[in-house]
Amino acid sequence: MSEPLVRKSAKAVLVALITISVMFPLAWMAIAGFKGREEVLRSPFQFFPDMWRWQNYADILRDGQFSRAMIVTFVGAVVFTVLSLVVNSMAAYAFARLEFTGKRFWWVYCIMPMFIPAMAILLTSFVVVTKLGMLNTMAVLIVPGVASAAQMFFLRQYYLNFPVAVEEAAMIDGANRWQIFTRVFLPQSAAPFVVVGIGSYLAYWNAYVWPILTITDPDLTQIMQFLGTFRSERGIDWGLLMAGSTLASLPTVVLLLVFQRYIVSGVRISGIK
Amino acid sequence: MPNRRNAIAMVISAVMTASLALTGCSSGDGDGSSKNGTTTITFWQQKFEDYQQAWFKKQVDAFNAAQTKVKVNLQVVPADTWAQKLKAAQAAGSAPDVQTTNYGNINAAAANGELAELDGLLPASAFDDIKANVKSFVSANGKHYAYPMLVEPSTVLYYRTDLAQAAGLDPKSPPKTWAELITWAQKLTTSKVKGMTIASAAADLGWSSWGLQYNACGHLPVADDWSKANATDACYEQLLQFYKDLYQGGYMPKTPKVGYADGSPYGSGEVAMMAGGSWVVGQLKQTFPAMIAKTAVAPFPSMDGDATKPTATLGGWTLTVDAKSKSKQSAADFVNWLLAGDPSIMTDFFKASGYSKYTVRTSVDQALAGNADATSDPFMKVISDQVVPYGKQEPAYPWDIALAFGTAIESAMKNTASVPDALKKADSQINDVIKKQSLAGTQPQH
Amino acid sequence: MALLESARTGRLPAETVAHGKPRRRGKGRRDNLTAYLMIAPMAVLLGIFVMWPLAYSLYLSTFKISFYKDPQFVGLQFYQYVLESTDFWHSIWIGLYYALIVVPAGILIALFLASFIKTLSKRMAAFMKVTIYLPAVVSTVIASVLFTFMYQDEGVVNWILGLINKAPVAWLNDPDWALPAIAVPGIWLGFGITTLILLAALLDIPESYYESAMLDGAGFLQRLWYVTVPLLRNVLLYLFVTGFTLAIQMLDLPLIMTNGGPTGATSTPNFFIFNSFRDMTPYATSFSLTASLLLFAVLGLISVVIFRLIRSDKAVDG
Repeated sequence: MSEPLVRKSAKAVLVALITISVMFPLAWMAIAGFKGREEVLRSPFQFFPDMWRWQNYADILRDGQFSRAMIVTFVGAVVFTVLSLVVNSMAAYAFARLEFTGKRFWWVYCIMPMFIPAMAILLTSFVVVTKLGMLNTMAVLIVPGVASAAQMFFLRQYYLNFPVAVEEAAMIDGANRWQIFTRVFLPQSAAPFVVVGIGSYLAYWNAYVWPILTITDPDLTQIMQFLGTFRSERGIDWGLLMAGSTLASLPTVVLLLVFQRYIVSGVRISGIK
Repeated sequence: MPNRRNAIAMVISAVMTASLALTGCSSGDGDGSSKNGTTTITFWQQKFEDYQQAWFKKQVDAFNAAQTKVKVNLQVVPADTWAQKLKAAQAAGSAPDVQTTNYGNINAAAANGELAELDGLLPASAFDDIKANVKSFVSANGKHYAYPMLVEPSTVLYYRTDLAQAAGLDPKSPPKTWAELITWAQKLTTSKVKGMTIASAAADLGWSSWGLQYNACGHLPVADDWSKANATDACYEQLLQFYKDLYQGGYMPKTPKVGYADGSPYGSGEVAMMAGGSWVVGQLKQTFPAMIAKTAVAPFPSMDGDATKPTATLGGWTLTVDAKSKSKQSAADFVNWLLAGDPSIMTDFFKASGYSKYTVRTSVDQALAGNADATSDPFMKVISDQVVPYGKQEPAYPWDIALAFGTAIESAMKNTASVPDALKKADSQINDVIKKQSLAGTQPQH
Repeated sequence: MALLESARTGRLPAETVAHGKPRRRGKGRRDNLTAYLMIAPMAVLLGIFVMWPLAYSLYLSTFKISFYKDPQFVGLQFYQYVLESTDFWHSIWIGLYYALIVVPAGILIALFLASFIKTLSKRMAAFMKVTIYLPAVVSTVIASVLFTFMYQDEGVVNWILGLINKAPVAWLNDPDWALPAIAVPGIWLGFGITTLILLAALLDIPESYYESAMLDGAGFLQRLWYVTVPLLRNVLLYLFVTGFTLAIQMLDLPLIMTNGGPTGATSTPNFFIFNSFRDMTPYATSFSLTASLLLFAVLGLISVVIFRLIRSDKAVDG
């Protein structure tokens, strides 16, 4: 079954158009990393540098603080993502599939945080983590954000879509609810886990204000904190900022390449047409 | 078997997450803690130009190396998160012992009891060294709450001598009145280069126009005792009209890339003239050295050409000691050493700034007088002789008032309201701020 | 707060969302212990890091906050001040306007792209799944800077306008254009994840549904409307609720691109709150804290409405 040539080439054109509109800004960012400090700002718009300078990239790669920040942030982001998937998927399953006393109350309790603006609890959460003695630890970066209403909500919506029949079949086989969750639901969760997992990972990776508030130990400096050092109200080192941002986005791109293949069909399994 | 294992797994996962919250072991900031006779104090510096961070680091290292009684822990805090970080720390009772505070915030912070009184902590001679016009900047109710570091005029005119020449204008006699400035801007505007750049967003206009507000009316849009707004005075209409003419005339970029404080559009040659703070001198020297030879500075034009009227406010940094600091004396000792001690420490700073900032101490002035670099700097001479002496103190009233007036200017520039309507709206907003924040009678008493 | 209130009285929004479809077998069966253990980690963490701070913030909002002097109890005075502030309501309107541009447009584009990617060959699809997500990898800061460049007087956008003989527009400095102009990077940054979510959901719809619809003679749009959209209801509810809450709370784009201007045209609620917060006075701290708590109430109300509009209380029967 080969597609008609017209349709095939139309598709190719569309793919190319989408790719260009998406890649253009990224390419600009990466290329701006080769420009001089003031060259980036130059008007009218110029895509390529006058001269390709490796200086910015070399400077950043040579900076021990950069590589340390990358490693520390990466480890934090991975731990954060795994923990939040564990915590939120359990709650999501309970809300999607179980009946229990006080469900309405707990549902509102767990979903409400999604609507709380960060500024409403910024000062007071800082007071809380200070009281808990968490300042300047990895825990302060990871733990407060692990329980995520949005992620739980997403997974619950996903689990709502699971066919009831599968669950019933497992129950006839004598499985309890926990076993159904771990043996039926979790193995089918790769796609939603990848989608929200990348979201969590990026949320951690791009966090700026919270690390600045809670981390003063240079060994724990996060990557956005590090990149922030190139910016100030009185002049920005554009070339360095762009080069740094480009390098900082590489791990995420690699993760995407690795995990994209899990975003495929897979939920509707045997027994369903 | 599987049942038991699963139950255990569930309990473990529940306990693990709960306990993770509690196991975070704090290494602590060591605020004001004493160890082996060494007192550690924290010092937060708001991030500014790169050379400032470098200078502070160098001096703090020198201070720490020179003695063992006090150890200063320097932390650079980005400006965009300063308010959040400081207020959060204050809420948790962990504010830094020493921090950078700008002149405009001293009065409110002192009134709220945030700042330690410095009179007993620093020697009297330190305060005697402060120039007379700046002394009032750092005091409230007759007491000193901050030690000043520098002043920098908020508004100076930068212009390209080569382009002026090419446009048939005399670079030796820069515009003196607002009308002349508009003529210059018009003549300098070409298809590639705009004639002028000045603030055009309310948040920038709010503070950068203070000097011109004084220039137009001789006062700010609030009565001296902060009891009511004064924004509808006819003289302000001329001020708004001036901004409007520059913007509507098409003499300035309509979509600025960066804020007022950043001089890079001028540095990269996109505009022929710029209203900018004196700090832009430093930026030009560091980042756009090629522009220096083609650039001249002049006091910003005055409404009617009277060069003795203020055109700029004198902003700048001071260091303050937190009222709750456990080591006030050690903190003050550090401030005294850095800002009020050996004049060569501060001359080193002004040198690093490319002489784009101005000293507040008589003794540092004398030290700079013997410095050939400083005395021969063309920009420095114009600014310190013709701008600084007429510069005004930044207002201590809440930012909401400044923002209301900045919004009025912006509305006029962008034609979203007529000049009188914009002022009327600002007037009522300012009165509202005065009422809600109970400002009447709370103006600074020096 | 609306949501707490509704939790107590047990009406909105729990009524519409909390119940799974009653099971055909084991009706009335409850799994209290399992359920509590499964939500316990989340509930405990939220309790410590969200509810405790929230309660503390609500308490603080009844004071003129000072961390140095004895704070002065003022009751609900700051709530009154915020509710009286025309700038606050203006910012809510701006937030809604922004969300109304970004959310539907974003979801439509994403739905189109996801349907498109689904038709591609495996290798092409893999390529697109990664490309489409790349904008999200760029931080908002970089995106803001980049789009600010494109909107310059002599930027790419005005250059294209020039090609069709239109006068240049001061995109970011024209009160009518500024908000739509910053909405574009808003859409650009968000459509990657939306597309992936929709793609994952689309791939779950059995081909047989489409085949039978095609046998009935349904065209592409009919299939989209009668087959795809109803089956995506659960996911769409999620996208609308989170999309709106996130869009209304947008801060970075107006902060970096327009500074809330021109004349407040892009002053989103969080920008307004952030701006009031920047002043170092106790009044400013209390005012912005109260404003953010009221924004919370507004967001909660909007989501209750969305929850009502898109009923998503059922497990889909296979």
